Amino acid sequence: MSSPAVSLYLDPQIRDWVLFPITLVMILVGILRHYVVLLLQSPPKKLARAAIREQRALIRSQVLRATSANSPIPPSYYRSISSRLAAAFEAGTYLKDGPSEGDAPSTPANPMTDPAAMDGMMAGMKTQMVMMVPQMVIMGWINFFFQGFVLIKLPFPLTLGFKSMLQRGIETPDMDVRWVSSLSWYFLNFFGLNGLYRLILGNDNSAADTSQTMMASPFAAGANQPGQPQDYVKLFKAEKDNLAFAEGLYSWMGDDVETRLLRKHGKL
Amino acid sequence: MSASFGSALHSLANYRAHNTRASQEVLEKGKLLLNSNAASKLGDDAWAFLEQLALAAIDVAKYDVADECIRQLAAKFPESPRVDVLTGIRMEATQPPQIVLKFYEELLEADSSNAAIYKRQISVLIRTGKIEQAVLKLSEYLDTFYSDVEGWVELAELYSSCNQYTFATQALSHALLLAPQNPFYVLQFAETAYSADDIPLAAKMFMLAIDIVDRHTSDESIPTGVSIRAWYGVKLCCRVLSERSCSSASETPLPRNLNLLDELATERVLTAYSAGGTDNATGRELVSSWMGPSDRSGTRLHFVH
Repeated sequence: MSSPAVSLYLDPQIRDWVLFPITLVMILVGILRHYVVLLLQSPPKKLARAAIREQRALIRSQVLRATSANSPIPPSYYRSISSRLAAAFEAGTYLKDGPSEGDAPSTPANPMTDPAAMDGMMAGMKTQMVMMVPQMVIMGWINFFFQGFVLIKLPFPLTLGFKSMLQRGIETPDMDVRWVSSLSWYFLNFFGLNGLYRLILGNDNSAADTSQTMMASPFAAGANQPGQPQDYVKLFKAEKDNLAFAEGLYSWMGDDVETRLLRKHGKL
Repeated sequence: MSASFGSALHSLANYRAHNTRASQEVLEKGKLLLNSNAASKLGDDAWAFLEQLALAAIDVAKYDVADECIRQLAAKFPESPRVDVLTGIRMEATQPPQIVLKFYEELLEADSSNAAIYKRQISVLIRTGKIEQAVLKLSEYLDTFYSDVEGWVELAELYSSCNQYTFATQALSHALLLAPQNPFYVLQFAETAYSADDIPLAAKMFMLAIDIVDRHTSDESIPTGVSIRAWYGVKLCCRVLSERSCSSASETPLPRNLNLLDELATERVLTAYSAGGTDNATGRELVSSWMGPSDRSGTRLHFVH
């Protein structure tokens, strides 16, 4: 049973030589990471015309569908564009490698063999490495140098379960869990410096902890990362269904335009 | 000297922002700056200025100035697609079209994603009268770069120049999808449909143009611009529809209440000519005599595009 009112008195040198240096090092390493990622980023690769065409094919049907409920074009025009697009999506006319021959079902581009997709993956992996390596190095450094003593007292109480994690290296059975070691100070900084990075480096910085934002918004985690190859065959099939929906919603603005005009000028 | 520089820079930046084509003035102001090597002092703006000056110089046939600008740009940005376009434009001014076309072909083989080069190629084809090839290339270009509204309008005008009015309406329908709130394209569609002999469709689209333009004006207001032209169009269509039976290639139904529409169109056009004193008097007389009971000769006009 730990006595409630015991409070340890810590050497102020701990504060000067551990607390501030860890924070300072983490800030500087974060800024360094940001600039390294910027330097490593290669300019976006130029796409060939077939690839551009494939990428923008979806825009055609999206443009058509956007105004389908109040469409400026008459029904016969709308239907001919819509059916032509649907047939093209079905047959894969817009795919960069051409429509699939014969009965072979078209497979999505294999990332290993498609050189363009490979580059996207490499870029993603490079950023991951840059993020992870400094983290491991700093953790090792802290474990090596700043082990075996208590650094700070957390302002909020915690359960006993956290003792083993936050007081690693200090084997005391009845010290309050609020006294934690330097490794936990590292974790606190790790999660907390996001705000500071946003202040110094602007909103779009590469030093911030992206895994945290992913956890916060599960929707964003599910969305396609831009580096990954998109499966256009599936996208085209989905767009074909969307076209069918939109055709159901279609209505021409010119249907009763004469009634509107006559009524407006009081002739009807 | 520096004050005139400052004002020259300011007006040049203004021209760039508004895309004005005041080539002679740009050349005069720009030459001062070029000679005093202000390009190095302008920083990042220098390159946009050099491009503007090069285009203006080519426009007024001062090729030495243009060559100097392009030389500086090419030194700074080797292998830039934008500099390639400028070089192509410079070549178009003095070289025969075959050489220029070959140059563009080579560029496109090297980099098939350069939209600006496609457009220059098409413009050279149009200029030398190779309309069929131009139409083919333009259709190919629009197949890839679908959202270029001006491209679709240009295609429609090319078709119209060959009297292929139905194809022109199809091209304009894409332009309408991309810019649905633009009444000028709706009006062009209506007039092209009229020329393609699809009178019910033309009538509907004329009324649609009026609908878009006059959506927020009261019914007492005086029609201007697009509205007058569209009301004229409605009147013409009503006249033709009452004279003979018209079939519609796009299966558009005939507008209901034709005689009421006729009256309304007449009223609206005459209102436009009644406003503003005596200078409209001759116009008003001509218009009202035209509006009156027409002779049943069944002649139809083609709209001038």
